[in-house]
Amino acid sequence: MKNRGQIRNFSIIAHIDHGKSTLADRLLEQCKAVSQREMEEQLLDNMDLERERGITIKARAVRMEYEADDGQVYEMNLIDTPGHVDFNYEVSRSLAACEGALLVVDAAQGIEAQTLGNTYLALEHDLEVVPVVNKIDLPAADAPRVKQEIEDIIGIPAEDAPEISAKMGINIRSVLERVVSDIPAPAGDGDAPLRALVFDSQYDPYKGVIVYMRLMDGRIAPGMRVKMMATGAEFQVLECGYLLPLGLSPQQELTAGEVGYFTASIKNVADTRVGDTVTEAGRPTAEALPGYRPARPMVFCGIYTEDGSKYPDLRDALEKLQLNDAALSFEPESSVALGFGFRCGFLGMLHMEIIQERLEREFDLDLVTTLPSVVYEVKKTDGATLFCDNPHDYPDPVLIEEAREPFVKATIMTPQEFVGNIMPMCQERRGVFKDMQYLDANLVELHYEMPTGEIIYDFFDALKARTKGYASLDYEFLDYRKSDLVKVDMLLNGDQVDALSFIAHREKAYGRARRICEKLKENIPRQLFEVPVQAAIGGKVIARETVKAMRKDVLAKCYGGDITRKKKLLEKQKEGKKKMRSLGTVQIPTEAFMAVLKLDEE
Amino acid sequence: MGRFSYKNKPLGLYLHIPFCVSKCGYCDFYSVTDESLQKDYVSALLRHIREYGAVCGGYTVDTVYLGGGTPSCLGPKYLGRILQEVKNKFPLSDDAEITVEMNPESTDKKVLETLKKHGVNRLSFGVQSAHDDELAAIGRIHTFEQAKQAVDLAREKGFDNISLDLMYGLPGQTQERFLDSVEQCLALGPKHLSCYGLKLEPATPMGRQAPALPDDDEQADAYLAMCEMLRKNGFEHYEISNFARPGFRSRHNLKYWDLSEYIGLGPGAHSFMNGRRFEFARDIKAYINGEDIVRDEDEVPTFQRQGEYLMVRLRTSDGVDFLDLEKRYNIDSTPYEEAFRALMGQELVAHRGTRWYLTEKGFLVSNSIINAVVEAGQPEEEQK
Repeated sequence: MKNRGQIRNFSIIAHIDHGKSTLADRLLEQCKAVSQREMEEQLLDNMDLERERGITIKARAVRMEYEADDGQVYEMNLIDTPGHVDFNYEVSRSLAACEGALLVVDAAQGIEAQTLGNTYLALEHDLEVVPVVNKIDLPAADAPRVKQEIEDIIGIPAEDAPEISAKMGINIRSVLERVVSDIPAPAGDGDAPLRALVFDSQYDPYKGVIVYMRLMDGRIAPGMRVKMMATGAEFQVLECGYLLPLGLSPQQELTAGEVGYFTASIKNVADTRVGDTVTEAGRPTAEALPGYRPARPMVFCGIYTEDGSKYPDLRDALEKLQLNDAALSFEPESSVALGFGFRCGFLGMLHMEIIQERLEREFDLDLVTTLPSVVYEVKKTDGATLFCDNPHDYPDPVLIEEAREPFVKATIMTPQEFVGNIMPMCQERRGVFKDMQYLDANLVELHYEMPTGEIIYDFFDALKARTKGYASLDYEFLDYRKSDLVKVDMLLNGDQVDALSFIAHREKAYGRARRICEKLKENIPRQLFEVPVQAAIGGKVIARETVKAMRKDVLAKCYGGDITRKKKLLEKQKEGKKKMRSLGTVQIPTEAFMAVLKLDEE
Repeated sequence: MGRFSYKNKPLGLYLHIPFCVSKCGYCDFYSVTDESLQKDYVSALLRHIREYGAVCGGYTVDTVYLGGGTPSCLGPKYLGRILQEVKNKFPLSDDAEITVEMNPESTDKKVLETLKKHGVNRLSFGVQSAHDDELAAIGRIHTFEQAKQAVDLAREKGFDNISLDLMYGLPGQTQERFLDSVEQCLALGPKHLSCYGLKLEPATPMGRQAPALPDDDEQADAYLAMCEMLRKNGFEHYEISNFARPGFRSRHNLKYWDLSEYIGLGPGAHSFMNGRRFEFARDIKAYINGEDIVRDEDEVPTFQRQGEYLMVRLRTSDGVDFLDLEKRYNIDSTPYEEAFRALMGQELVAHRGTRWYLTEKGFLVSNSIINAVVEAGQPEEEQK
């Protein structure tokens, strides 16, 4: 019989390279959860992309057994969390599945950036935060200073925080001992109706969707009929069990306090949303767990393949990714300049970038993507209302009675010293200041209502840059508001390039149009004729650049009758031209196109 | 030497002399600096001259061109033997144009006298620049003063048909300095000038260093200013990089530009004969050992030859006459003409009746124009 008192559910919070993954590996080793041979570096991040970027994209969980100094064996569930505002919601669900968190801080660098936001999130969820000072093997390590910093900035006692080196394997046991002693065992009622929190799900071609969950109350076992309280979907549980580092371990049942998975031949991850509550269909719990938020795509863009014939491959790839990613949406669209592709919806810019990278890497596709856009609401003069995320579908201004753009409620948490840097930035992005609260003497929470379009592109990065990385951001959809929107078309040599059109607030349209013109000018190779690059609202040109005519493209010498050589050179040029996209009368290489579409990296 | 009737087909003969005193940083032509190979090389070349001479009975050689490398550095003895063997084994016309490329540092009385004696009637000097710092920067081992003396000496020895090679687009070269080089070269009284833009070839030392060159606009301006200056001095701009006083165009090089036949002997040398192109390996030792042609072209489809014809013709100020093109390849030239018409209005192309040609501005972007035109005439299935 399991003893709930011996379960510990925790996550690890750390700045990007402060050693979260290495520590996780050491914990697994210490618990002999994996053998040395199986020990692949950074076992927890098993997507290539995650390893390379050093960030965790999808939450992961792993169970290990630890024989503590008190002689008892504890069941440790480590739940890993993603680290970006696009996935803030996923982070909050992962944290909600834990009773505690290890806060890993680099002994040389001290507290940084992301750490803080996630620490606050953890504290908000009433998690016990256990500080750990890592990398004490570094020459520049200064554990006492870092401990002091933890106490000053976060305000939790850190004096006796374990000083470790995950890399060298120093003091790893002391971390596990602290997990045992400081992090509370899960509460919950094993006899109550099933109530489990879904914190992730993954599609498996053989088992269907694998639902990762934390049992709050009750028990789950194969054969039980369960219900997802938010989506209403019902399933018969086929298998449930533990998440071991190297795979699934089926069990007879899971009970309150435990972390594990279940499968039920679920075809679609959309039925098992993160944050949803699983309960027993025949004996439902009275109340779902709090905090569920349906995934709502905030950013849309067109995705095309560089080689038009790869369109079916792109569709297959998107379908496969969607199996694992309920937040990804897509539908077919076409463009004069780019051919056939898909209009895709994402949680935010990082989510978009990740999907693009995965399409390119895992499915070996070369992509061209259009400028990202949010969803606008347009009330037409004929009374119809249109939701429009594609400039192509944006109605003619004379047909528009009122245009609205989405707003989010943005919550920014920051040490008080940076407030002066943040406020002008929000103002510049048309943010409406709501209020400011002091969470403690030093920590401030700012509330803004901001146009989604202003927040999705580079706001998060700009915020980090202006607060030395200390500020954290969370946002959620608020409402649609009337806005002075315009559609800007780009023209090359007088021909409109549909893939480059965008919708923006009038105030912002000019600057952006100018930047795109400049980028086009920089990136379009000179043609035999001068190419005017224009941005226009309706018929009115608002920005203009000129790509000067090519001046020199000549093989001066004909190499003593070596016609072949010249022929080859010309053929190579011709090959290069095949890779060009014809935009009206202008040829531009795909890379140039992409450079232009790669948004505003000022 | 026998007399040959002009019923015979004309043939150009190119002989590659792959030796240099030292390699210039930008040069991508095949040459070596090992003098000890000269003896064996000359034997191999003489052997080839005999072999090929024996199968060229139906031809009359009306141009001979000794290029390199640096032919002048081979010295009078070997040069004399090569020229003599050509005369002995090839059907040479009486008025053949016989050119030898010279470098200032290896031009002396003895060499010049030998060349004169063997009927050489045209010399081409690699001068490149009138500024010693520029010469040093591209790895030339002579000064402009040496070039001047070499040209004077040649004239003294009775050579009148003298061509000079010049370069533009050198690292750090301003238009002013370049035009000064042109002017100083003109002062040497050449009948012909070749002005090449420096191109950084990846396989050369300069290509690897990739020094900053004047940008495309600066180079284009320098080129156009040079064209203007040479025109004022009575030179005809008859090919992208070549200028001549009336009557002094290079007859040998003209063969390359109208797909006439020529044979090239020596490592890296190219030939075009009987509708086929072939070339020898860029490897002097292989050449000496008698390893022969490395790349022999298959019969090429007519549309490809058409493309070649356009490609080479459009390098010349005469351009291409569509009547001639239609007769030559039995085709309809309309698509080509349309491609030209699409480019009108930008001072890149012009025409007189059915003859279309590139302007000097057009020469500067000739690669793009040639591609656009050639592509227009390609059969559909080829475009895939």
